[in-house]
Amino acid sequence: MKYAPLLLLVTVAVLIALPWLVSGSMLNAAVQMLIAALFAMAFGLLCGQAGMLSFGHAAYFGVGAFAAVHAMNAFGGEGLLPTPLLPLVGGATGLVSGLLAGYFSTKRTGVYFAMITLALAELLHALAPHLKTVFGGEAGVSSFRMPAWGIGFGSLNDVYFLTLVWTLVSIGLLYLFSKTPLGRLALGLRENAHRLRFLGYNTHALGTLIFAISAMFAGIAGALQSMNIEAANYVVLESHISTAVVLNSFIGGVRVFLGPAIGGALMTFFGHVTSDLTRVWLLYQGIIFVLVMMFLPRGLVGELVERLRNPSGEGLARTLGTVLARLVSLAIAAFGAVFLIEFLQRVLSPEYRAGVTDGTWPDIALFSYDWAPLSVSPWAFGLGLFGIGIALVTMVNRRVAARKEAQA
Amino acid sequence: MSDPILSLQHVHKSFGEAHIIRDANLDVIPGERHAVIGPNGAGKSTLFHLCSGQFAPTEGKILLNGKNIAGLKPAEVNRRGLARSFQITNIFPGVTVFENLRLAVMRKHNLQFVFWRSAARLRLVNEEVDDLLTKIRLTDRAQTLASQLSYSEQRSLEIGMTLASDPQVILLDEPMAGMSHEETDYTAGLIREITEGRTLLIVEHDMSVVFSLAHRISVLVYGEIIATGTPEDIRGNARVKEAYLGEEAA
Repeated sequence: MKYAPLLLLVTVAVLIALPWLVSGSMLNAAVQMLIAALFAMAFGLLCGQAGMLSFGHAAYFGVGAFAAVHAMNAFGGEGLLPTPLLPLVGGATGLVSGLLAGYFSTKRTGVYFAMITLALAELLHALAPHLKTVFGGEAGVSSFRMPAWGIGFGSLNDVYFLTLVWTLVSIGLLYLFSKTPLGRLALGLRENAHRLRFLGYNTHALGTLIFAISAMFAGIAGALQSMNIEAANYVVLESHISTAVVLNSFIGGVRVFLGPAIGGALMTFFGHVTSDLTRVWLLYQGIIFVLVMMFLPRGLVGELVERLRNPSGEGLARTLGTVLARLVSLAIAAFGAVFLIEFLQRVLSPEYRAGVTDGTWPDIALFSYDWAPLSVSPWAFGLGLFGIGIALVTMVNRRVAARKEAQA
Repeated sequence: MSDPILSLQHVHKSFGEAHIIRDANLDVIPGERHAVIGPNGAGKSTLFHLCSGQFAPTEGKILLNGKNIAGLKPAEVNRRGLARSFQITNIFPGVTVFENLRLAVMRKHNLQFVFWRSAARLRLVNEEVDDLLTKIRLTDRAQTLASQLSYSEQRSLEIGMTLASDPQVILLDEPMAGMSHEETDYTAGLIREITEGRTLLIVEHDMSVVFSLAHRISVLVYGEIIATGTPEDIRGNARVKEAYLGEEAA
């Protein structure tokens, strides 16, 4: 891991240079990715480090988002709370609501803890439409970013840098936190709360505090979100926001420090790209989650870290060769699967079926060819590619296993 | 005889209809190694749970340094100078041996809600952890994940964590359970070393360990302490033979 500081430096440099490297739409996606990364890191502190799986983190994200919008309106981006400091309000409200919710939910552990967090978040979500002064009803609450400190905050670039600074500082703070006595106790809470109690620690207070700190960073992420879109609507309290952060964090690897951030950023990027290309992008997201959990249960980053720590012992060239062979075979299988899914989606779509008259099924254009749905060719093509890909990857795996056996 | 450091007075514990501990009386003298033996189901573990605060007694008093601790929570009992190990290995498996001990040591220094200092720079804490590592002979395993230790190493770690709060009284619940002969000898030596200057109350099934290690032995049968005395007294006690030792010899 001796290259870690260098890698970090390069990443930060690229992030700083990003506005000059990519298009506006991509930069907008980058803002979303940063926010998702920070939100996932907040969740990762609670779930990965302290072992408490929250199903209701949208609540603290949402509370932070609304607090920031109200503060934007109240202060006009001046005085005590100039625009760049508005995320502090999100953090503070996150912290307070986290203390409150954490006090109740950390009285239980495991499934019961998860259920309480879910219930509290749903309670807020159900309540929000009725509290029009706070949550603004259907229309939500909107505001404007005002200039401060000589920065306009009107352009996307300004917003990007605001988000970048807050995200990096927050992740830095989370890293430092993990090194403090309280941060180490989070691990103890995850590993064996019972033992911690017998050592004389107050596990309920510890759990509450860690919950609150996690909620605080979720609140900062929420504030950045509402500052980015200059509005907040009670849809940010919906359960799919809570679910997304769970899935993202696990895909990245919830137990390695930057795992959740990378998971959050990657899946947001994935959503940004695929939601323009296909209607069933959520299905793909789900499939990715299931596959990662089945074959890489440590998550993408977790698995990478594990491989770097315990190399296969086959040398760099051979390992890279194996990885490449696997990736190519999997890409073939994935292409076959995507083809089948997309074709099915089109066949099953109401628009297409409205066009089916007297048993004539018109051709469907997919990947710049026209395919007849009643002929064998599209199905054979998709299934065939999928089968070939899986066969190839099985072959690669068998060879690796045979080599290992020969060594042993 | 000096005043007992730990004293059970007419302690009674029942779970509904089941009377597990019936009128137990026990005095543990400061500095002694005191063993509790008894057949399976006699209530030895329950007795430990009562002393360490996991259960509250239904009736009776438990005095630690003359103050009643009956009904106090485990954390409070620990703060008053009584620490225990568990029959089932009870460590933090997913973190390093060093971290296990550091978590245990930090409590003594009242480091709980501290998020403005680096744990790596707590000089005193880290020195104490190194000290403990030497005592339990795990120095070269410091950076190993606790889950990857051998069974007896895990038991040593468990004992190390019990020591971390620098308790006056240590309760060890079957520290040799499931160990080979070599491991048992090794652990017995370790216990002898680390209990120097402290008071030990131990539950153990291995009679050779009990009789060589303990200054005094109490025999618990069906929730009652039927005899307390030196190993020789206990060997010669007719009631004990009948209730327990004879049964085992047969």
